[in-house]
Amino acid sequence: MASRSNRRRSSRADGRSRRAAAPVNARRVRLPMRWLLPATLLLAVTAMLMLRGYVHSEILADYRIRSETAADRVPDEIIEGGPVIDTRGGKNAGLSVPRQRLVLTFDDGPDPMWTPKVLDVLKEHDAHAVFFITGTMASQYPDLVKRMVREGHEIGLHTFNHPDLSYKSESGLDWQLSQNQMALEGAAGIRTSLFRPPYSSFPSSLDNASWPVVEYVGSRGYLTVLNNTDSEDWKKPGVDEIIRRATPKNGEGAIVLMHDSGGDRQQTVDALDRFLPDLQAKGYKFQNLTEALGAPSAHTPVTGAELWKGRAWVFLVQASDKVTGVLVVGLAIIGSLVLARFGLMLLLSGAHARRVRRKNFRWGPNAPVTEPVTVLVPAYNEAKCIENTVRSLVVGDHPIEVLVIDDGSSDGTARIVEDLNLPGVRVIRQLNAGKPAALNRGLANARHDIVVMMDGDTVFEPSTVRELVQPFADPRVGAVAGNAKVGNKDSLIGAWQHIEYVMGFNLDRRMYDILGCMPTIPGAVGAFRRSALERVGGMSDDTLAEDTDVTMALHRDGWRVVYAENARAWTEAPESVQQLWSQRYRWSYGTMQAIWKHRRAVVERGPSGRFGRVGLPLVSLFMVVAPLLAPLIDVFLLYGLVFGPTQKTIGAWLGVLAVQAICAAYAFRLDRERMTHLVSLPLQQILYRQLMYVVLLRSWTTALTGGRLRWQKLRRTGVVEAPGAFPQQRTADSGSERRPVG
Amino acid sequence: MTAHEYGRADGTPPLGMPAAPGSAPGPRPEPGPAPWPYGDGEPYGDTYAGTAVWPYGDRGQSQDRGPGEVRIPAQKTVTAETAGGASGGTTGEAEKPARPGRDRYLDLLRSVALVRVVAYHLFGWAWLTVLFPSMGVMFALAGSLMARSLERPALSVIRSRVRRLLPPLWVFGALVMGLLFLQGWNPAKGPDTGGGFWSMVSVFNYLVPVGAPPYPVSIGSGAGLLESTWAEQAAGPLWYLRAYLWFVVASPLLLWAFRRAPWPTLLFPLALTAVVGTGLVTIPGETGDAVQDFAVYGSCWVLGFAHHNGMLKQIPRYAAVSGASALMAFGLWWASGHLGPGGWNLNDIPLAQATWSFGIVVILLQYSPSWQKLPGRLARWDKLVTLSNNRAVTIYLWHNLLIMATVPIIDQVYGLPFMRSGTASSWLSTTYVLWQFVLIWPLIGLAVLAVGWIEDLAAKRKPRLWPNGPNGSSRGRAGTRADAHHG
Repeated sequence: MASRSNRRRSSRADGRSRRAAAPVNARRVRLPMRWLLPATLLLAVTAMLMLRGYVHSEILADYRIRSETAADRVPDEIIEGGPVIDTRGGKNAGLSVPRQRLVLTFDDGPDPMWTPKVLDVLKEHDAHAVFFITGTMASQYPDLVKRMVREGHEIGLHTFNHPDLSYKSESGLDWQLSQNQMALEGAAGIRTSLFRPPYSSFPSSLDNASWPVVEYVGSRGYLTVLNNTDSEDWKKPGVDEIIRRATPKNGEGAIVLMHDSGGDRQQTVDALDRFLPDLQAKGYKFQNLTEALGAPSAHTPVTGAELWKGRAWVFLVQASDKVTGVLVVGLAIIGSLVLARFGLMLLLSGAHARRVRRKNFRWGPNAPVTEPVTVLVPAYNEAKCIENTVRSLVVGDHPIEVLVIDDGSSDGTARIVEDLNLPGVRVIRQLNAGKPAALNRGLANARHDIVVMMDGDTVFEPSTVRELVQPFADPRVGAVAGNAKVGNKDSLIGAWQHIEYVMGFNLDRRMYDILGCMPTIPGAVGAFRRSALERVGGMSDDTLAEDTDVTMALHRDGWRVVYAENARAWTEAPESVQQLWSQRYRWSYGTMQAIWKHRRAVVERGPSGRFGRVGLPLVSLFMVVAPLLAPLIDVFLLYGLVFGPTQKTIGAWLGVLAVQAICAAYAFRLDRERMTHLVSLPLQQILYRQLMYVVLLRSWTTALTGGRLRWQKLRRTGVVEAPGAFPQQRTADSGSERRPVG
Repeated sequence: MTAHEYGRADGTPPLGMPAAPGSAPGPRPEPGPAPWPYGDGEPYGDTYAGTAVWPYGDRGQSQDRGPGEVRIPAQKTVTAETAGGASGGTTGEAEKPARPGRDRYLDLLRSVALVRVVAYHLFGWAWLTVLFPSMGVMFALAGSLMARSLERPALSVIRSRVRRLLPPLWVFGALVMGLLFLQGWNPAKGPDTGGGFWSMVSVFNYLVPVGAPPYPVSIGSGAGLLESTWAEQAAGPLWYLRAYLWFVVASPLLLWAFRRAPWPTLLFPLALTAVVGTGLVTIPGETGDAVQDFAVYGSCWVLGFAHHNGMLKQIPRYAAVSGASALMAFGLWWASGHLGPGGWNLNDIPLAQATWSFGIVVILLQYSPSWQKLPGRLARWDKLVTLSNNRAVTIYLWHNLLIMATVPIIDQVYGLPFMRSGTASSWLSTTYVLWQFVLIWPLIGLAVLAVGWIEDLAAKRKPRLWPNGPNGSSRGRAGTRADAHHG
């Protein structure tokens, strides 16, 4: 997402904003707040995804199945006894179903597709059955559980997520049972005392590994319900075969094992539809277990805290499913937006490059522009850099007048410039009043009609000014954006910003140029027609991003704003995370303010309306809305890594990375940059991008929670409380002691 | 007992203790000539012809240099002073020879690595090997110091290194062998050593560890204070001494190769790991272990050379970190496909261990800030860092034996009156390892008091009981200087 990138370098106004916002000490207290909302949001989303992964058995699922072992420790009366095992209170009883009674049991459900069909068939033939449900399925489809109970069926536990219980400790067993009960409580408001262990079969198949489970579960008050007639319907042997296997011999009673979940159960449903009337005709009754045994119901209604705990659980699971659905839609949107934007960028920036690099390309009828121009250098405490800045200007190959506007520096910036004694360089001093005020003062003192603006810490190439003003050959052009470049690009954070700048300038700015909606003239290198600026009232300190503000105002006034790729200016990018944070916060919040300030353009007529209906939505979409969805990529990356399919997730991520790399490489090629810095692109994607959208989230937070108030206050502070306007940000940036400003 | 089994025991004594004064890295290369016209009137020329170039000159990672200082004489003096005061070591030692020499950043790394080793051997958590690859870090630090020492004649350096290593080992070995022979161990007959003549010879590895010292996998009844695997637990980590010894001996050759062909020398051990550490080629026995260890940690050792001669700092940081990350990603990927019985225990996965360690060491040394003293909150650890650095060999040699010693001590608690109840004793059982981790440090302290001074004797220094202060270390430096002359 190297979208919003580079515009201005001036990281000072953010210092101003902070100073205005709160005194130094208070800021430390407030620090957690800026993280609170984004962090909470991210945590909530992650928790929801965890929950979803969990109930969908994508994590923590235990697929081990123990093979049969010796059975010498299983009591004989159990092995030879009936399928309903009662070990409560030290008993060892195997109960059987009386003759002419048949208890149908369905395992592993409820299933959204097949359980309703099974229930329909049962209802049609007035049959009751027992459903052994899993906690995961019951949490997801609570309505089906409710229907089972309503229609007279009995519910049994089949554990939470169907592990082989012989691998579980006692606490593990307890957990499986209580989670399953909780899901049942939430779904139907009851508890049950029936239980069937996963992978169970006839009582004669109990062995030394599974018997302790039955014993333990009995000690917890459950009846263990195995079966003595297996329909083997999960093998899908055909309707006839299912009926044959499920039919007991000689009118004996039976507990029949069937499944209503875990795959295509059409055969089961069809078999039931014939099986039920056939056996009913033979005198069989289809009853639930306690009816068949003549025992009191296995269900106990729950009330109070237990009930609400269950309901809360079911609600959360439902919500997590919905949230995930929404997230997937969001991911699809962001995915297509990203791809569309890349496509558009490649297409339009290619077109732009072709156009301005044509052999006989002319900006307009007045080409070439040779008239002298004024260069405004607003400076606040730039003692370290100002000499380089000014010297780089005077060796330029275009006639210029340099105006250094010293905004109340305390480090002798003005004196340094004056001592240089360079021809054509003037110093204007003012009391500290902020960057917009300094620029306006410079404008008032400028002798020429074309005004170049730059930062006090930026260095121009000799040809920069000439290249920058050529587009004014077209009388419709009101402003020109130059090509700001990162100088300190060999550090890691510098390389990341370098990539961001090159992509941002080359692709974004070219695209916006073609579309006629360039959102920002970078403060580090830009040129304006003074007459155009005067029409829109000069620089304004309404927003934190005066450069975006004025650019939008020019668009609305009908001026063209274009990009001059060869007008390169070298700036020093922030080298600490904290400085970067404040710079980007100012950019993104300032952009939001500017968009908000110019919102009326949407409904206006003429050029203003054109910008309002094309430029503003585009800028909002790409710079404010789309990055908001960008965290989804990382959330799903994590989800995929943890819950799998890990390989595919990594593959998809690498695919997106490849697309980014192609775009970046194209941008580097257009800008004739060495490709070596692109090796830091993968790391940028997993460390830097996140920082950028957290900044954006914070801007949103500010905007939505009283940002306007702060803005008003800020405005007053910037103008009135002079010393606060340009705090020591600059010194901190370039000085040997790189401390972030308090 | 605790589960500190080590397929390949991990741990690292910082055997390469600072041996010479002024461990600040040598003079950093000056930034390249600035293609900038203003200072010296050099024209732009074709600097901007093809590709766009930062006109400030190659600023690299010189964060401590403002962009102005290269060109403006007035600024230059200012920054020179700042640099001298704040980020010492960058301006070269010739100007300020009196500056104390220990690089506290490297010291801190060594201490962290030691703590990690002890924690790993106690808790047995595999992920600790991913969190901080102690071995790689330690070998890299040792490699860096070795490279510096090798500015002196190679033979004397090797002799002095070996001499500093052996006496502490002899004391430790005497105790272990004494106990073993008391329990009736006969290396000539034992099933573990193969028996015969060569098994007898292998016992001499306790004198000079050209191979890993032998030990029986199981000895004694296990009924007494020592459980039957104690020898393996105590002597298992000694393989490190063999690896260290071979690195020291090979260093003159490695350094020679590194000076001629830095990149191949740096990457050769990694390539070797890909051959001998993946089952492609299997060398049996002790030789195989030795070759594999050499391969796995060889690149880290050579990285120490690269750190010492400044090569690492010359690589742009973005490139170094990105490359290292890519290598680490490969290591993780490789590990994910070759998980051993211990899961993500990199000690069982040579290629993953080699690449992961290499990557982390590159990043740690690339950022290496050359602290004169521990900054900020770290300052409170200053004495412990000093102590653990001065007694690193002792700590490494003895820690595993001491871990076992915690068991009978903590078992005494079960006899206390209030431990009669089931809940109290089960509570103690669940938190047992935690108490071991608490108890191990005082025990290590006792070991330092008891046998630590041997390290001083080995280095021909005046023996000290508890060298945790600046006084001691300055005396230590005096000693090592003498050492340099004598050795």
